[in-house]
Formats: sequence, C-alpha cells, structure tokens
Amino acid sequence: MERYDKVIIGAGLYGLYAALFCAKRGERVLVLEWDEQVFGRATYINQARVHMGYHYPRSLSTALKSAGYFERFNRDYGFCILKEFSQVYATSARFSWTDAGQFEKFCRAAHIRCDEVNPERYFRPGMCDGAFLTTEYTYDAQMLKNYFLEELGKYPHAGICCGVRIRRIIPDGSCFVAEMEDRPPVKADFLLNASYASTNQVLEMTEGLKGEPFQIKYELCEIILCEPGEALKPVGLTVMDGPFFSIMPFGKTGYHSLTSVTFTPHMTSYESLPVFPCQEKSGGYCSSRQLGNCSDCPARPLSAWPYMSRMAKKYMKDEYGFTYSHSLFSMKPILKNSELDDSRPTVVRQISEKPAFVSVLSGKINTVYDLDEVLINGGN
Amino acid sequence: MVEIKEKNFVSAVLYVHNAQQHLAEFLKKINGILAENFEHYELICVNDQSTDESVRIIADFAKGLEGASVSVLHMSYYQGVELSMNAGMDLAIGDFVLEFDKISGDFPDELLMQIYQTSLKGFDIVSAAPKRAERWTSKLFYQVYNRAAGKRTMLRTESFRILSRRAVNRVHSMCQSVPYRKAVYANCGLKTETLVYEPRERKGAICPEEKEMRRDMAFNSLILFTNLGYQVSSLLAGIMMLAALFIGIYTVVIFVGSRPVEGWTTTMLFLSLAFFGVFAIFAIIIKYLSVLIDLVFTKQQYVIEGVEKLK
Repeated sequence: MERYDKVIIGAGLYGLYAALFCAKRGERVLVLEWDEQVFGRATYINQARVHMGYHYPRSLSTALKSAGYFERFNRDYGFCILKEFSQVYATSARFSWTDAGQFEKFCRAAHIRCDEVNPERYFRPGMCDGAFLTTEYTYDAQMLKNYFLEELGKYPHAGICCGVRIRRIIPDGSCFVAEMEDRPPVKADFLLNASYASTNQVLEMTEGLKGEPFQIKYELCEIILCEPGEALKPVGLTVMDGPFFSIMPFGKTGYHSLTSVTFTPHMTSYESLPVFPCQEKSGGYCSSRQLGNCSDCPARPLSAWPYMSRMAKKYMKDEYGFTYSHSLFSMKPILKNSELDDSRPTVVRQISEKPAFVSVLSGKINTVYDLDEVLINGGN
Repeated sequence: MVEIKEKNFVSAVLYVHNAQQHLAEFLKKINGILAENFEHYELICVNDQSTDESVRIIADFAKGLEGASVSVLHMSYYQGVELSMNAGMDLAIGDFVLEFDKISGDFPDELLMQIYQTSLKGFDIVSAAPKRAERWTSKLFYQVYNRAAGKRTMLRTESFRILSRRAVNRVHSMCQSVPYRKAVYANCGLKTETLVYEPRERKGAICPEEKEMRRDMAFNSLILFTNLGYQVSSLLAGIMMLAALFIGIYTVVIFVGSRPVEGWTTTMLFLSLAFFGVFAIFAIIIKYLSVLIDLVFTKQQYVIEGVEKLK
C-alpha cells in the first residue's frame, strides 16, 4: 500500500494550496478529487472576489481578517488578479441592513478604502443612498489552477488523482486508509478534508471518528456569466446589504459575473448531508452521500437570468448594459450560526489527533493561509 | 399551438392583512392569468401582521408552484395598506408592477390583461375601478378631495392598478416618502387611465384598525395634497384680523363720541392691536408651512409627461 505523509481530499484552492505547502516542506502528498479536473467547483464557481472585507459590514471580525490577508494574497498570486476596474459598493436606499453612513463608519473601523461617489453615476435616482469606490480585486481561477498544476509538477513526491471514487476511509493504527473503487488503497497519518460542500459526506464515510458534522446548510447557487457592454467593462457594482445583487468582472475572462442574494440560491437543504429533490432526477450522478458537479448535472435548475437581470436593471442606469452568456452552478455550504451577522469565518477543525483528521471550511479564497498552522503542527 | 407569451417581466404586489377567506382562490386566479400570459413574473405578498392563516395559505400555494417566484414581505407591525404597499413596490423588480390593495377577486379575469394592454399603449399608470359600491365616507372624501385639488386628475375608489417601471422611478424621484399613493400617482405628471368594470359582488367589511388608519390618511392627504388646510386657516386668520381691526375702530369711535370709563380705551386699543398682530403672525406661519409642504413633497420644480421629437 502506498503511504503518504498527507492525503488531501478535494482539489480546490484549499486542497492544492495545502499540497503545495507540504510538498515544499518535502512531504509526500496525494490529492484525491472526484471530478475529472481540479478547480471545477467552488474555487472556480463563485464571484471570484479577492475579499477585502467590504462584504461583511455586520461582521467586523470577518472584515478585519479578509483585509489582513488581502495584501498577502495579491502579492503571492498577483499574476491571476485583475485590478484595473472600479469596484463600486453601494447601499440600497430601501431594504438595506446598512446605510451609507454606517457603511462608511464600518470601513473606517476596518481601515479599508472607501471614497464616496455620486450614486447616480451608476444607479437610477433614488435607488441607492450611497456609493463608494473601493479597493477590491477579482482572481482568475483558471490561471490560478495552471499555476498550481505547474508548481506541483515540480515535486515528484506530490500527486493529484482525479476521477477518484472513495469507498470509505478507515483508521489503521496511526494511519488512515482510503479505499477506492478501481484503484489500490492509500494510507497516510494525516488526512485533510478540503472538500468544501462535501465535507460532511467525507466525514460520514470515515470510520472511527468521534467528530460532529459541521452545522451547515447547503445552497445550490447559480453564477451567471454575462458579456458586459463597453460602459460596464471597467466597472464592478455591488448593491448591499440585503436582498440585492452584484455584477463584477469574473477574473480575467472578460465576462462579468451576475449574482443576487435572492435568486442565486436556487434550493436550500438544511440536513446535515445535502438532500435535494433534483438528486433523484440526476440519474445517479448526484446523491446525498456524494455530490455531483452541479454545473455538469443533467438535472441542474433553469437559469434565474430573467429575475437576476431584472433586479440589476432596476438599479443600474441603462448605459451599463450586459447580455447573457452562460450559467455555472455549484453547491455552497453555509455555517448555520453565521446567518445573523452574515460572517464567513474560516473553520479549521482537527477531528482526531493520531492519526490526524482535519476538516477545513471557508467561503473565501484569501483566507487560505489559515491552513498553515495546522499543516505544520496538525500531525504532532 | 405555440403560445406567444409576453416578454415583459411583471411583478404582482398583493396586500395581505387577515385575508384567509379569499386568499387561496385569489392567488390561484392571479397566478393563473399571469402564468398564461407572461414568460416571467413574480408574486410579492406583503403580509401586514396577519394573525390568521394567511401566511400558511401563501406558503401552501408557493409549494405547488413551478417557474415563478413568490416572496412574502413581512411588515414588522401593523402599518396599513399605504406603507405596506410602498414596501412591496420597493421590492418588486418587474418592468411592470401590478398593485392589489385588497384581496378581492370581484373583477372579470380578462380585465387584468386589459389594463396591461392599455398601459402598453403609453399609459404609465392604469387603474381598474369598480363601477359602484363605494362607501358614503369614501364618496365624501373623494368629492371633497377632487374639488379642493382642482384641475388635477380625479381620484376614485380603485381595486388594482398597473404601473410601468418609468412611473415607479418617477414616484421615487418625486417624493422621499409616499404617504398616499393614489394622490402621488395622480400628481406624477405621467399619462394615467382608469378602466371601469362591473364588480361581481359587494366586497366585505373592513377591520376597525384599517378604518382608523384610513380616516387618518384621508385627513392627511387632504392637508398634504390639496390646499384646503391652507385656504381654511388663512381665511380664518383673515377674518380674525378684520375683527380685531373693527374693534379698534369701534374703540376710537366710542372714545370720540361718548366719554367711556377711564382706562377702557387704552385696554381695548391694546387688545385689538395685540390680536391683530397675533393673527397676522398666524397668517405668515400658515404661509410658511404651506411652502414647506410644497418643498418636501415636490422635490422637482416641474413634472413632465415626456418629450416628443417631431423632426
């Protein structure tokens, strides 16, 4: 049986970051991925924001942490980051949990840039009571993927297996053994569960663990990619804080991503393992024990484009036009206790010591550095 | 047969306050008509602190629905139809917004599409009004209001209406808050139209808190949207000023003609002068207030219906 220092489940940013981090330390690592490709889900399918903290006007702790890692992420992965656009945050005049004055105060407290501009430059009269130019960037997941694949290629003792079907994970002395279909089992004394939406599913297939599953709910989310008109190209707009929308550059792809708080989540599951009515129609592709990739799923929902585009057009001035290109779908786990303040903490949880089992759950890419500590000390 | 549905997005905003009796039926009716005619639409139920089964009825209805968006907007406490409907309007995202102030399906099915078709002809606000069935209090209010408001659009009891996005935007830019929608709509300067229909039955009674709310609103809108209050109070101030003046003259005449008791003349002269001054100040304050109301409720100097390019 092949033995590794660390086996990592999930080839998203957190998985590959951990793999590269450990490979550089001279460890033997193996990444196991269910999809045929890496970065095929949440790392790619999201708003592609490099968060500076603006998003969390009701959670200063989340904001401060994002701002802290923002510089570091931009330094380390500058090649995949698009900076040349005006990122505008606006507070809706109605239904917002935060108004312009509160947002400004919050930005000052978090020490992040916020320059007031006239809301009517971007929005229809009366729709927003404040608009602010901010420093926030967007990353290109495909470029980031290529970088990680290239870097990891330099280390012969680091490997990625795609298309893997894990049957179960069992403890064996000081090791975990991952048994797979069509593939010989592998063992490691450190197992990192970086599978994001599948985190509870991986926990479920692991035997002999005493850890509680994450208290999460699941949202099936749609990100719409649109072709921006000339005026919109150099602009990203986010209306907050409540049932609003965001349209902003999607990495360096030339597309804009369109999302809205009310229409991006299509379905929600409150079970510990994700249970959705569409799973029955997926023809075995997806189940509550193993999530398929929603973007490739035959039972994926119809696009909410008519709703999201309406909402955006209700706010935006006509000159900022955009047209539909295509939709991406992905599953998003949300910690239940973060709903009230809308915070998005990064949770790194060590479920067992020897052998080590660590689960990580985070909704933001630039807090990936939170892994460092557990990767260094977790095994001891 | 391939059906061609309307491409425009329509939002229907329903005011729900203890409406369990007809709600299920009403939702089905509205949804049926919209689903048949529109590719995309949304239903927004504004729940103004219903204490009956209304919310459950909406939830049950939404469960069995596909291809449409249904939202319930819960008001924090009872706020009445005007404020609640304002909130519903702010949430609506449609190109056209249908407003249903009450859950009453007393209109014929085809009327809904008729008002939509009428609005497509260039009327930004189209209302559906029942032919009769007005309470005498409503009748009185509308008569007084229409007379006092003068040449502007006449108001009447309406059951529902459609607004174009342009009308919604216009209303937004005119007023910070909308205390009485009908009056604002009538004064927004865009083309409006009313379709009159024969109601199927007399509608049910309204609840006591609604009654009180309506009375307040009737009074407020008379004060805010007509110059009735200004006219009455400035007239009264004028009369009182004249009376004070008359007493002053009378005092002088008595002083000259027949010698009155000592001190009477000075007292009377002082009193008439003082009252004259007080009422003069009142007249000025009333004028100030009416100017202030104008400033608050009409942010823009003028309202236009549109620009037509002829050449």
